Amino acid sequence: MNYVPGTASLIDDIDKKHLVLLRDGRTLIGFLRSIDQFANLVFHQTVERIHVGKKFGDIPRGIFIVRGENVVLLGEIDVDKPCDTLLQQVSIEEILEEQRLQQQAKQETEKVKMQVLKDRGLSIPKADNLDEY
Amino acid sequence: MRLAACKAARLPSDMSRTQGERCLPLSLDEDCTLEEEDEGLIEEEDEIDQFNDDTFGAGAIDDDWQEEHKRLAELDERGGLGGGLGLGGGSIGGESDLGGAGGDSSTRLPSSAVHLPMPSSLPSLKFTSSSSGLPPSDVEDRGGGGGDLAESLARFILDADPAIAGVGAAERPGPSPGSSGSSLSVLQGLERSRVLPQPSSIPHHTQPHQHPHHPQHQLPPGPSTSGLPPGPPPSSMLSYQQQQHLLRRGTASMGQMNSHSIWENSMGFGPVSVTPGLVTHMEDSPLMSIIKEVGLPKRPPPGRSDEGQDLSERVPPPRSSSPVIGSPPVRAVPIGTPPKQPISHNLNHQVAGFPRGGPAPPLLPGGGGFRPFFGGPPPPHGHRMGPPPPHGPPNHTPPIRHNTTHLHPQHRRMLTQRMQNRGGDRGRTAGDRRSRDPYSNLMTQKEKEWVTKIQMMQLQSTDPYLDDYYYQKEHTTKLITPQVAKVEHTYRPVQFAGSLGKLTVSSVNNPRKMIDAVVTSRTDDEEKREKQVWNKRRQILYTVEKMYSLLLEVQDFEKRFVQAPEEDREALLEQHKTNTVQLCNSLREKEWDDRVSDEQCVMIMSVRKGKRLISRLLPLLPSPQAAAVVMAIARNLPALAKKDKQDQVLCWLVEPASAVIQSLSSSALTDLLQELQGNEGQLATVLHNKEKGCKAPTLTVNSWTTIDVTRELLSVPSSSLSPPLFTPPNLLSLLSRYVDRQRLELLQEKLQISALSR
Repeated sequence: MNYVPGTASLIDDIDKKHLVLLRDGRTLIGFLRSIDQFANLVFHQTVERIHVGKKFGDIPRGIFIVRGENVVLLGEIDVDKPCDTLLQQVSIEEILEEQRLQQQAKQETEKVKMQVLKDRGLSIPKADNLDEY
Repeated sequence: MRLAACKAARLPSDMSRTQGERCLPLSLDEDCTLEEEDEGLIEEEDEIDQFNDDTFGAGAIDDDWQEEHKRLAELDERGGLGGGLGLGGGSIGGESDLGGAGGDSSTRLPSSAVHLPMPSSLPSLKFTSSSSGLPPSDVEDRGGGGGDLAESLARFILDADPAIAGVGAAERPGPSPGSSGSSLSVLQGLERSRVLPQPSSIPHHTQPHQHPHHPQHQLPPGPSTSGLPPGPPPSSMLSYQQQQHLLRRGTASMGQMNSHSIWENSMGFGPVSVTPGLVTHMEDSPLMSIIKEVGLPKRPPPGRSDEGQDLSERVPPPRSSSPVIGSPPVRAVPIGTPPKQPISHNLNHQVAGFPRGGPAPPLLPGGGGFRPFFGGPPPPHGHRMGPPPPHGPPNHTPPIRHNTTHLHPQHRRMLTQRMQNRGGDRGRTAGDRRSRDPYSNLMTQKEKEWVTKIQMMQLQSTDPYLDDYYYQKEHTTKLITPQVAKVEHTYRPVQFAGSLGKLTVSSVNNPRKMIDAVVTSRTDDEEKREKQVWNKRRQILYTVEKMYSLLLEVQDFEKRFVQAPEEDREALLEQHKTNTVQLCNSLREKEWDDRVSDEQCVMIMSVRKGKRLISRLLPLLPSPQAAAVVMAIARNLPALAKKDKQDQVLCWLVEPASAVIQSLSSSALTDLLQELQGNEGQLATVLHNKEKGCKAPTLTVNSWTTIDVTRELLSVPSSSLSPPLFTPPNLLSLLSRYVDRQRLELLQEKLQISALSR
């Protein structure tokens, strides 16, 4: 029931399973229990899902309160829809290990890139520094 | 006096802390258990007892321990509690403990409810064995204890947390109706899933008599008072041993907690059984009756908006003076705070000396730690029951909603959910997942509306330019051009003063005329006529051309015939014949008419080429047709002569015409002559115009007409003879040659007459 027709509201999403992507890159899945005017979200039975390649792992987190400004996107999960079988669920340890490796590889390539640029006298500022303006 | 029983891991810190503070034994226990169950973080926090309500929770915020102390003290005296159950700030998180009472028998429940809090939460209560902070005394031991004490305790506890009492109270036909009954029902609801098979030796007496005066209405808020603590039953409701047992057991089942629906799991400790019967029994308990007698917390006065009440409840800073009832709602709370659960600042009006407005909300925004002084003495409303729950089948007996504000929000929600679930269970059909979700509707309708209201408020504004960053007036992109009056700009040639002319300069606005083109507008009729004329002329030209080509064919036939080989000659001959036929036919106006049409000839001869055509055609035509043509010419001579002024080709016709005339029969000749003569002066004019060729035709005409003319002249009466305009001087001489004397004399006479008559 849309309380305010013609507008978008999170009210209708309450008590439904959602997936939220945060600005730091984390993916949380949980039941959206409460909202407020800033779109701060209260998640229940939250699970943090880490994806590395074709594998993913779930870490149960309990109750999460997400500050609205940190949300990139939020979407309802259709529980009736059949699950994608392309992704393979693995244990938490494994996925964390995979993530670590992935991060490591990324850092190394980044390092090499920066070095190459530096040698040429160029520099690309990191994205997180751009937030300050 | 708070309890050692409290938390295994926290006991040391808790103990130290709780003693100093006004502690809520029940709440504390509840907190412990809750936290353990939820997070498994028992061992983590050492420094700050986060779960201690007194530190952060309702106990710290809401409780006014002084008041509680007073109340409990009064109860103490009244209840005749022996011993030194001093209420060291013993607020009672009644219901949690009560809930956890879990008596083994339903009948025991109330007594257990009464009983259990005592050890941990009611130090002040003079209860035989229970007092002094739950020493490992068994619940069973207490058994019997002071019936009065139990009774008063129960009353104290239940009244302290009317929310509990509200659960399931509806079913109770307590001896004294009232909110007290409801608090007990709350209790029941709370205990529902938390009943543990603990032996409860609490004497079960349904005390029919209630204390008329219940000091314990203000239940210190706190988590302990919340409806349904998920963790192990509040230790206050259990004996210490039981609590320990639970705690130990609890860790085992902790694992399940995280991933399951925690609330529904009913603590996961031990078998959980709540039978409706239990509930019913509970209803009969003296506690309920007590609660009923005491009265339920009041609903907010009708005149007030809920929000106003909510907001006023949330006032963080302490108010030294209570706002006057009826004054506009105090909006000391920022608007950004969500509405609370339905708050009833009820207060039991029966409470004497109740200074404060009502149980403070368990959680205040900003962590304000003071209970708002709201509306002074409780308004003299009757007990108001909470609205029936929104969910639940119609046959669900609406649970009475009491003031649950003092409950920890979690507990409050659990309470409501339990209530809802119970209702849902009764009449629900399988299928709706959401209705099974015990955690649904954590956000109440009011809260949703509140959020929506805020969002809508953002949509309204008197000055959207200020309020809405992205607001732009519609059609701002439309270019607003300056409206300039259009002035007639006509070129006026420059004129110098004193000069006679004007300097005309050709410019863009005043271009020079290059072509003198005059537009002649014709009407439609004129255009049609002109068109017709042109069409006809074209037609004539076309005909002339056609005939000319035929003529040429015919004239060339001879040559070709000679040159052509034998076998082709016949074909040529045939073709020749058709051509000639066609030629003849073309002169006719209409196909069916054999006569040569005058009009056609005239038309043809109106064109110069046509005249030449006729002149070439005449010798080829068969004699009758040729004669007819000549006749036509003669008849139309004046017109032809007129038209020929420009063309000057009439003379070409003379030769063939003369040839034709020569071949004419006499009758035809006379006709011709008559024609010629019929028109006055035609011949003369023609002859006059064409001096060159005049002689020839005249001669021929004369030579042939002399014979006939003499006859004609003689025969024709003189009067009828129209004198020729111009008589060739040699006519007589000519005629004299051909005619004998008599005729000549007649002719002379005639001529003289004609000459005279002229």
